[in-house]
Amino acid sequence: MSAAIELRGLTKTFGANRALDGIDLDVPTGSIYGFLGPNGAGKSTALNIIAGLSRPTAGSARIFGEDVTTAPDTVRAMIGYLPDVPGFYAWMTGEELLRFCGQLFGLRGRTLDERVAALLDLAGLVGVRTPVGGYSRGMRQRLGLAQALINAPKLLLLDEPTSALDPLGRKMVLDMITGLAGRTTIFFSTHILDDVQRVCDRVAILDHGRVIVEAPIEELLERTGPRDLLVELGSPDEAATIATALAGAAWLSGQTLDGARLTVTTTDPDTAMREIPREIGARGLLLRRMELIEASLEQVFVDLIEQDGR
Amino acid sequence: MTVLGVLLRKELLEIRRTWRIWVLPAIIMFIAVTSPILAEITPGLVRSLAGSNPDVVIELPDPVALDSYRQLASQLNQIGLLALIIASAGIVGSELRSGTAILVLTKPVSRRDFIVSKVLANLALLVGATIPAVIVCWLLTLAIFGEAPIGTLGAVIALWLVAAGGMLCLMMLLSTLIPAQAGAAGVGIAAYAVLSMLALWGPARSWTPAGVLHGITAVIEETPSGIVGAIVATVVLSVVAVALAIRRFDRSELAARERSS
Repeated sequence: MSAAIELRGLTKTFGANRALDGIDLDVPTGSIYGFLGPNGAGKSTALNIIAGLSRPTAGSARIFGEDVTTAPDTVRAMIGYLPDVPGFYAWMTGEELLRFCGQLFGLRGRTLDERVAALLDLAGLVGVRTPVGGYSRGMRQRLGLAQALINAPKLLLLDEPTSALDPLGRKMVLDMITGLAGRTTIFFSTHILDDVQRVCDRVAILDHGRVIVEAPIEELLERTGPRDLLVELGSPDEAATIATALAGAAWLSGQTLDGARLTVTTTDPDTAMREIPREIGARGLLLRRMELIEASLEQVFVDLIEQDGR
Repeated sequence: MTVLGVLLRKELLEIRRTWRIWVLPAIIMFIAVTSPILAEITPGLVRSLAGSNPDVVIELPDPVALDSYRQLASQLNQIGLLALIIASAGIVGSELRSGTAILVLTKPVSRRDFIVSKVLANLALLVGATIPAVIVCWLLTLAIFGEAPIGTLGAVIALWLVAAGGMLCLMMLLSTLIPAQAGAAGVGIAAYAVLSMLALWGPARSWTPAGVLHGITAVIEETPSGIVGAIVATVVLSVVAVALAIRRFDRSELAARERSS
């Protein structure tokens, strides 16, 4: 099966500015794919090309094997797109807007009725009779997501879908996205790392128009540098004893003492988790707690962007 | 229903549900209602003004039905066309600014259908606004003057529709070239001014839209020479303007609007 999105040497220039610099990317079918990057990294430019709104300067973008520039109608029939700031006809109601969008995909009759009803329900807009012009930002974003799903797309493109929302609105939109897992491929651009960690299973990080890393999230987190282990002993003295005993270990890259708590930074968490309890046991000390602190995507992201900057 | 049909229905619904249903029809209706009344009262007003000064003697013929049509033609030619230019200057640009063009054009919709639906809907609005106004004008003229030649009024309105339709097509092109409504309106008004000046120059009236502009008022007296050529030229140029608008829009890059906060 072809990749949902296949970018090869995708380049876009605006005058002297190289917004995309030869991107190569494969987005697996069925994945929820996070497209991360700082502001101005080129995320929206790439999405605009994939959605057929803009043309690449060089390279190609294929959606399920179809080139976006030579088969735009075929591509548009397969995708749903939610822009950063969705624009709606303010005089339409949410239901009218969904009907209009559905009709543009050729949907009619009972199929259209059922789909509109289901999507209004999904977006929490059942019974809302006010025109879209009176909607809150959260309602607009949920309606935007609903219209992007009207054709049951094989690929859903979301451009920063949560970045303008309050926590409640953000949760509702993320819940909608999570609910779609396994039913469609979702390509999700954002700079909110927490959202990506919460809903995505693969991620690409973009900076200065280039993909600097692409991997499943778990792999990316494991691939990072030293990890922290939190070790809590019976007393501050015991913590100090263990800190002294561990000094010089090959896997140790640093440690911080805070009362009875010792934070051990290690390049080899597996060895550290074997050796530390052994040292504690050998001295007859009390191990209250030992916990591997999860690497955060934020740390990975900052490290990678800083490395790229260097 | 085809995609063009869906878009056309949306355009017509938008006209009905927004300010657009009021502006152009109201202006054309206002012109239609006031023209016979102005034609009737103007000579009296002028006489009464002149009467206050015994040294001034003004002799004016009594008004007739054709004076009503002259008023109508003159006002349509000026106020009507300027209102049309301003009202239609943002036809495409407003959709680009609001992001609704992206909503539509990320669906399987050709940019040609997007433009054509707007042209057809706005032509329908123009015709729909003109017909009732013409009927009102004819009835008022008949009531006030006791006669109202249909043929002459028909010729005035036919030429007005050709000129206004041509201007609408030009505004469609300008709206794709200049997204800012004020900018497109400014260029449209400049184009109207140039055509109005050309209409004063006899040779330019044949085979240019200036002939149609001149003909709207001139046809009340007699059939203007070269009017057929001017109509043909206007129709051809209108089609060319729409074709250029489609070509330009097809090649333009669209981008989602930026967040304002």
